[in-house]
Amino acid sequence: MRNLLNFLAKYNNLLIFLILEGIAIFLLTTGNNYHNTRFVKGLRGLTRGIEERMSNVRSYFNLRDINESLAAENTALKNSIERLVRNEEVLFFSVSDSVYHQQYIYTDAEVTDNTINRQKNFFTLNRGKKDGLAVDLAVVTGNSVAGVIVTCSENYSVAMSLLNIDFRLSARIKSNGYFGSLSWDGRDVEHAILSEIPQHVTFGIGDTVETTGYSAVFPEGIMIGTISNFEKSGGDFFRIEVALMTDFRKIRFVKVIGNMMKEEQLELEKSFK
Amino acid sequence: MINSIARYGLIFLVLILLQILLFNNIQFSGYVNPYVYVLFILLLPVEIPAWLMLILSFGTGLIIDVFSGTPGMHSSATLLAGFVRPYILRLISPRDGYQSGVNPSMLIYGVRWFLLYAGFIVLIHHTALFYLEVFRFTDFFRTMFRVLLSSFFTTTFILLLEFIRKGK
Repeated sequence: MRNLLNFLAKYNNLLIFLILEGIAIFLLTTGNNYHNTRFVKGLRGLTRGIEERMSNVRSYFNLRDINESLAAENTALKNSIERLVRNEEVLFFSVSDSVYHQQYIYTDAEVTDNTINRQKNFFTLNRGKKDGLAVDLAVVTGNSVAGVIVTCSENYSVAMSLLNIDFRLSARIKSNGYFGSLSWDGRDVEHAILSEIPQHVTFGIGDTVETTGYSAVFPEGIMIGTISNFEKSGGDFFRIEVALMTDFRKIRFVKVIGNMMKEEQLELEKSFK
Repeated sequence: MINSIARYGLIFLVLILLQILLFNNIQFSGYVNPYVYVLFILLLPVEIPAWLMLILSFGTGLIIDVFSGTPGMHSSATLLAGFVRPYILRLISPRDGYQSGVNPSMLIYGVRWFLLYAGFIVLIHHTALFYLEVFRFTDFFRTMFRVLLSSFFTTTFILLLEFIRKGK
């Protein structure tokens, strides 16, 4: 007993260190991905006020760019209305109920907190379960990929940014339809890596890379970026560098896309896996 | 005593605010993230009891964690920095030892000593932090590059802050 006490007295600092380090590692391994830990939930309530205020300040610096991107989006929308109106004239006699064919629903949201300087980046949206958001919905900005929602509370959601080394996305080269896996290598906020494209495929720098509809998260044909560089990597594949279309440094207004037929697709696919 | 607690409280508050409001928002090509709050650990008095040192460094890390949404990451790295500090201090002690009742600052022991001291601890802190952040050993050398680059910037900013303090 005395030996034990002596031992404790001698190494008490080491013991404190080990205990506290144990707590820290426990927090790190259980809570690092925002996954609903009490700790994070409780504390995020505390810090949210500050975050929102900071985000407000930051948004003033970006107003010009935001205006420009909204104007561009407006133009695009007007163009598509124009096209739709023309279509309707052509299809005047056909009976089509668009409600039954609608696969994706869109909700707009605003980014209230965003990081880009980590290896695992997340951003927070000002909409939550109350607004119909749920885990695994796609987030796009303009018409390009931004992230995927990983957790929702009543009024807020946290999305995993494309700039996260755990993010994976099925993507294809628009010009030839070959698809591969897109991920971020943690290097550069403007580029991501498209892998698993076989070496016999021909494509050029500047070709568009877009989403496939395979994952049932993102709709088909959402822009990701353009090919900026490529090299042969081990095996028979290319390692393609994609210049991202989304500028994550000033991401602010986003759309959340829900896939109404996702359940059906997953259910069907499950029977083959 | 009360005076020095108040002074450390002020330093603590300023550093935390600087870190959260300014340095956490520096976004420079994904490589450089200065974490200047480590300066608080550096400035604590030499003869502070080790247990207090550990608790303070854990607490500092925890507060940064709360504000950057990364539970445990900064806590464990800062705790490690606090744990190794006495050993570093012993390793690079000046020829005639440390004076009692003063904090290890640039004013007293000179720029070269402080640079060595800050550099060592920042490097240890950043190594723990960045490897914990990635939590894998693939891309080992790239993470090391990030550690070195960010350590350089953190140490530079810490020196800068010390010069500003000294100028007062």
